[in-house]
Amino acid sequence: MPFDYLLFLGALLFCIGLFVVVTRKNAIMVLIGIELMLNAANINLIAFSSFDPNALQGQVFSLFIITVAAAEAAVGLSIVVKVYKYFQTADLDKINELKG
Amino acid sequence: MIYWMISLLAIPFFSFLTSQKLGSKAPEWATLLLGLNTLLAIYLTATHWNSAALTMRGHWFKVGESQITYSFLLDRLTLIMSVIVNFISLLVHLFSQEYMRKDKAKPRYYAFLGLFTFSMMGIVLFNDLLFIFIFWELVGLSSYLLIGFWFEKKSASIAANKAFIMNRIGDIGFITGLMILYTQFQSFDLEVIKSLMIDSEIKDGNWIAQFTNNGQVIINTLDGRWLSAAGIALFCGAVGKSAQFPLQVWLPDAMEGPTPVSALIHAATMVAAGVYLLARVFVILDAQALEVVAIVGAITAFMAAIAALSQFDIKKVLAYSTISQLGYMVMAMGIGAYTSGLFHLVTHAFFKAGLFLSAGIIIHQLHKLESKDVMFNAQDMRVMGGLRKHMPKTFFCFLIFALALAGLPGFSGFLSKDAILLDLAVWADIKGGGFYIPEVLAFGTVLFTSFYTLRMILLIFFGNFRLPVIMKNNELSKELKDGNWIMMAPVILLAGLSLGPVFGLTLNPEHSWFVEAMPTPIYLVPAIYAAKSLVNVSPETFEALHGLVNAVSMGLALIGIVIGYLAYKPNAKLEQEFVERREPRGLLGQVSFYHWYQDAFYTKAILKFVMLKAQALSWFDKHVIDGFVDGFAKSQVIFAHLIKWFDRYFVDGLVHLTVLTSGRIGQLTRSIQSGNVQAYILTSFVFLILLMLYLVF
Repeated sequence: MPFDYLLFLGALLFCIGLFVVVTRKNAIMVLIGIELMLNAANINLIAFSSFDPNALQGQVFSLFIITVAAAEAAVGLSIVVKVYKYFQTADLDKINELKG
Repeated sequence: MIYWMISLLAIPFFSFLTSQKLGSKAPEWATLLLGLNTLLAIYLTATHWNSAALTMRGHWFKVGESQITYSFLLDRLTLIMSVIVNFISLLVHLFSQEYMRKDKAKPRYYAFLGLFTFSMMGIVLFNDLLFIFIFWELVGLSSYLLIGFWFEKKSASIAANKAFIMNRIGDIGFITGLMILYTQFQSFDLEVIKSLMIDSEIKDGNWIAQFTNNGQVIINTLDGRWLSAAGIALFCGAVGKSAQFPLQVWLPDAMEGPTPVSALIHAATMVAAGVYLLARVFVILDAQALEVVAIVGAITAFMAAIAALSQFDIKKVLAYSTISQLGYMVMAMGIGAYTSGLFHLVTHAFFKAGLFLSAGIIIHQLHKLESKDVMFNAQDMRVMGGLRKHMPKTFFCFLIFALALAGLPGFSGFLSKDAILLDLAVWADIKGGGFYIPEVLAFGTVLFTSFYTLRMILLIFFGNFRLPVIMKNNELSKELKDGNWIMMAPVILLAGLSLGPVFGLTLNPEHSWFVEAMPTPIYLVPAIYAAKSLVNVSPETFEALHGLVNAVSMGLALIGIVIGYLAYKPNAKLEQEFVERREPRGLLGQVSFYHWYQDAFYTKAILKFVMLKAQALSWFDKHVIDGFVDGFAKSQVIFAHLIKWFDRYFVDGLVHLTVLTSGRIGQLTRSIQSGNVQAYILTSFVFLILLMLYLVF
């Protein structure tokens, strides 16, 4: 299998994740998008780990990323809950108090 | 020495400064100060009478190369004048304490009296023509202030204006004379002028003066006629001040002032200042100028004597009498009779001041009879009559003064008038021809003088008291009393000084101590221009004419008295109808009463044009000058409005524009922040990719 296909897959996932982040109304969908982007980065890492003689470094780093992603998802969710409690809505279009 | 002279000046000036502040104590204070000054003058006279003349000179200021100095002179003339001025001023101060008792403005009155005395002393003490001129003006000012003392009365303030303005007209001449003398001699100091005059000469009709000034030899040449012109010009000042023709019309009007003021200023001292000036510049007057002086003096004496014949108002009679006697003095100066002129000045000062003060007593006592039912003019002789019984002391003194005025033997006036008339006769004989006219005028005046004097006495003191008859109130007659001692003392003192023996136990003026003490000086003018001095005429000529002159003048005086008595004795026709008289009768009466129609003439001929010019100038000032100023102000306001418009639309507009631009730009840049986080994320990714593309390629 050509190596490029793995990279394309990573890029594709990343773009889909970005698209989801940018487009979705719901804050939780944005979180999902972020997860997708993280996982895309994981795929990239694992793809490149095949060049390592021990085929370890990329995969270990992926493990770290998965852990961080989990923690970050928890924190992100708590922030969303807080924001929801303040704004009474989860619709991102309506949360624009930072408007200049 | 100089301190004595400065004190003589300073004490009256101090009186002027302080009297106003002292309020009700002012009369006593001023009288005290003047008493002090009089004592000082008498002391100086006693100690310096037989000394040589003293001069003190000092520098005042320098203009470029010209040095202006001041100088005092203390000679016999100064001493006599200072005694007379201070003494009569003191008597007037004392008299005024009673006369002005009810007046509210007493402090101001005494302050002005002090100012006057100070100014008169200035004229007398200084020997520098510039300073004499300065004090001359001050005297004129004091006269103005005192004539217009009751300025609420319109006639008084008009009269004060008239006096001052006519004085100023005369001063034009005075200043011209000063200028001529300064041009020629470069000094105002009389001693300097006199000594340089001796050295000057007349060559080919040119007047040349040569002298050294600061080491430089200066030769000034003027046409010879300027010498006469200088004399005549200086005389013009005397014409204004001493009320000579044609400037004599202010003196009758000056009677609007209080009577003691008339006694001091318009009888004894200020009007004598003109004669004093003539005495001081006597030696630098040339023949031409002296002729003018003599003729003007004679004319004045005659005109005024006629004017006194028909007056109702007692003060007007005395005023015209003063003008007439001043005419005598000026004429005496003009004929070269320096001593006689001064002699008459001194005797006249005493008896005329006495006449005015006695008139003041009469007026004051008559004023006391006034009430809201009884209103009359206390100065009008038509309400008087028979006052001999009510005011015997005043009558007695008045009689003495009047006899001195008429020039009857035994009184001081006789000696001085006789001296003048004798000198006049000798002069007329020397000059001959048309110069007999002044002699005729002067002798005619003797006749009129005695006539109007007796007329006054008969109308005031004899007959019946007319006021009760007019007012139909016989009580008035009982209320009229003589004056109290404050008013009588000065009058009695002056009466004593009007007696002949004061000036010499003789009927011949030559033997009077005055004549021997004040010899006529010789002329210092270059010989060709100088008049023939009476000093050079032999005594025999004088002796020859003396008897004739005496006889004629006595005869005329007696004729005047007889005519007067016949006309105005009690129960005579004229006397009976006097009380009803309102208009003067006959041509002589009218010419006399309206003072030769001079006032009317001046009003029609001169005043009209002056007022027209004043009105034209006033119109010009109001419409053109003020119009210009208003127009300028209006244009400024319009300009201000324009600027306001410009400011509001352009300057403020610029500011608004700037603000607007910043605002818009700000809004523009702000609008990028939509608050939408997802947009932020998108934007940042886009730029991140662009950056990476840039880095890679």
